[in-house]
Amino acid sequence: MAMIELKDITKSYDEAEKPAVNHLSLSINKNETFGLLGPNGAGKTTTISMLCGLVQPTSGSISIKGLDLKLHMNDVKQFIGVVPQDIALYPTLTGKENLEFYGAMYGVPKVLLNNRIASWLKKFEMEKAANKSVSSYSGGMKRRINLIAGILHQPEILFLDEPTVGVDVQSRSDIMHHLKELNAEGMTIIYTSHHMEEAEHFCSDVAIINNGEIITRGNPLELIENQSDCRNLEEVFLKLTKPNFQVK
Amino acid sequence: MRKLSAAMRKEFLLLIRDKMGLSILFIMPMVLIVIMTLIQDAAFRTVNEEGIPLLVVNEDQDSLGFRIEAGLKNSDLVAFHNEINGKRATRDELFKAVKEGKFLIGIVIPKGTTKAIQEDVKRLVDESLGEDVSQTKQRSTEIEMVIDPIASKSFVTSVTSQLREFISALKTRVMFETFNAQIAELIPDDVTIKKSEYSNKQAVTYKEVYASEISGEIKPNAVQHNIPAWTIFAMFFIVLPLVSSIMKEKEEGSVFRFHTIPASYFLQINAKLIVFIVICLIQFFLMLLIGLVFLPMLGLPVLQLGNSYSGILLMALGCALAASGFGVLVGSLATTQQQGAVLGSLSILIFSAIGGIWVPAYVMPSIMRRISEISPLKWAMDGFYGLFLRGEGCVDILPHFFKLAVFFAFCLAIAIRIQSKKRIG
Repeated sequence: MAMIELKDITKSYDEAEKPAVNHLSLSINKNETFGLLGPNGAGKTTTISMLCGLVQPTSGSISIKGLDLKLHMNDVKQFIGVVPQDIALYPTLTGKENLEFYGAMYGVPKVLLNNRIASWLKKFEMEKAANKSVSSYSGGMKRRINLIAGILHQPEILFLDEPTVGVDVQSRSDIMHHLKELNAEGMTIIYTSHHMEEAEHFCSDVAIINNGEIITRGNPLELIENQSDCRNLEEVFLKLTKPNFQVK
Repeated sequence: MRKLSAAMRKEFLLLIRDKMGLSILFIMPMVLIVIMTLIQDAAFRTVNEEGIPLLVVNEDQDSLGFRIEAGLKNSDLVAFHNEINGKRATRDELFKAVKEGKFLIGIVIPKGTTKAIQEDVKRLVDESLGEDVSQTKQRSTEIEMVIDPIASKSFVTSVTSQLREFISALKTRVMFETFNAQIAELIPDDVTIKKSEYSNKQAVTYKEVYASEISGEIKPNAVQHNIPAWTIFAMFFIVLPLVSSIMKEKEEGSVFRFHTIPASYFLQINAKLIVFIVICLIQFFLMLLIGLVFLPMLGLPVLQLGNSYSGILLMALGCALAASGFGVLVGSLATTQQQGAVLGSLSILIFSAIGGIWVPAYVMPSIMRRISEISPLKWAMDGFYGLFLRGEGCVDILPHFFKLAVFFAFCLAIAIRIQSKKRIG
């Protein structure tokens, strides 16, 4: 059975001419690293927002682990984790205080939470900065804490909306390395990104979305093979989303 | 419960690290309350101790004119002057000096005022004795009160009515003496009749008693009026840091995360409400301390708390609930921090203006008095005035408390509805 199932999902906003997501159907299996790729305004964030229960679809249905999102959102929230695109942290609190707060909100017992915080801070080499306010952190440090805040409760499914946007190479490498570890431990990861190279190496499955519709889907290597003139995922992406694109 | 306490801890940490927010919450209201009370007390003292600067031009130079001058010289109400640059002022100089703001009020006693009164009395006596008075004309004179246009109408009315009363008493005295002299002329010299003497002692006198249930004398003064009024105003200004806290969470993306975690967003709002209500109560008790300890150090009267401490606590709680609930509503309505700040501060200013914080509601026109009834600041002030000035108890202020509690519930219900609607959108 699919871990996540979207059936004929459409989302229209009142002020928009076209629907942000248009009759989208998708199923994602357990333990996949699924990449939702697309240009700006393609409908990636809207899709992720619907999966997290932040936005209600105009029509269609979403189920996670067989639970209809409309009816069981509160149950679903127990086993999903979300890492938003924006740094959703309190700048005047320290990194540790932010993690303590979000961990408590997920209902992680205090002792266990403290152990997990210590462990993650160590893994991300953030121990020294843990007691400094987030406002003093670099972009990469903020991204790391932002990620830890979404995984403290060890969710079965993790949604990441562009988790490496605006970070340096080292931080990006660290983040991707730990995400791979989490996936190896059994976590299903759904991820959006503009970094095609990153997605090519990280994802077991990708869907390229444009104008709210999926235009192709599959394993990154298979997608590259299917487009004989393309050497990498970026060229596949450009070929499919940019009408006049010519592979050099 | 752990989630709520964690959310409250977070709110507390955010609050104590926000230096500007803290100054809005504690320092600024305390400075405001001290300044407003000192200013109003100073104005009160100017009237009562130094007196209102007043210039008299006595063109009469007769009994009434001299008596008015002598009486005003000894009056506590005014600081008497009849000279400018060491010379007796003229009528034109008086107008100029009042116009320039050197004196708040000027009095011109025209030439022949005493004579006019005397002739009038004589005419009255002659008429009573059946003599033909058709040939004598009734004279009328006008004492002018010249007023600085910048003086407020209510203040001028209060002062001029006291001056009018004072001058009337002197006129009556002059009339009585003239009448006495006229009678004496009509009575033969060999008849000895004890002449009646004008007595300053009035048959009917006035006593001002405050309709207060407080035993002992609680006199309304700048402290009794200002501490409750400006405390309420400051408590409602908690709307600003509360709105700022809500808007920051919206803008910094925390709200996004709240909607994805297994804890309702309203748990966050409840945590905020609890923390801000406690802050409001601390604010309130600090303000009371200012009235009880700090203002007396500056020579102002000690704040009298009345008979009911439980009533004070209840009203403080009602006020804190209403202010925090309104903050949550504004935070839900606004889409940016700036919008929230403008909406929050303007609405509090309007509520306080119509609620009688600046100008008492009883001096407002009837339509405004009716409008003032919709201001939660008015309900709060009615409650606190009841406790501090009328000596009311806990039961008496319950209607005011319930109004504030219902306002809180109403604000919260609307905020929840707006928030749910926004999320579904």
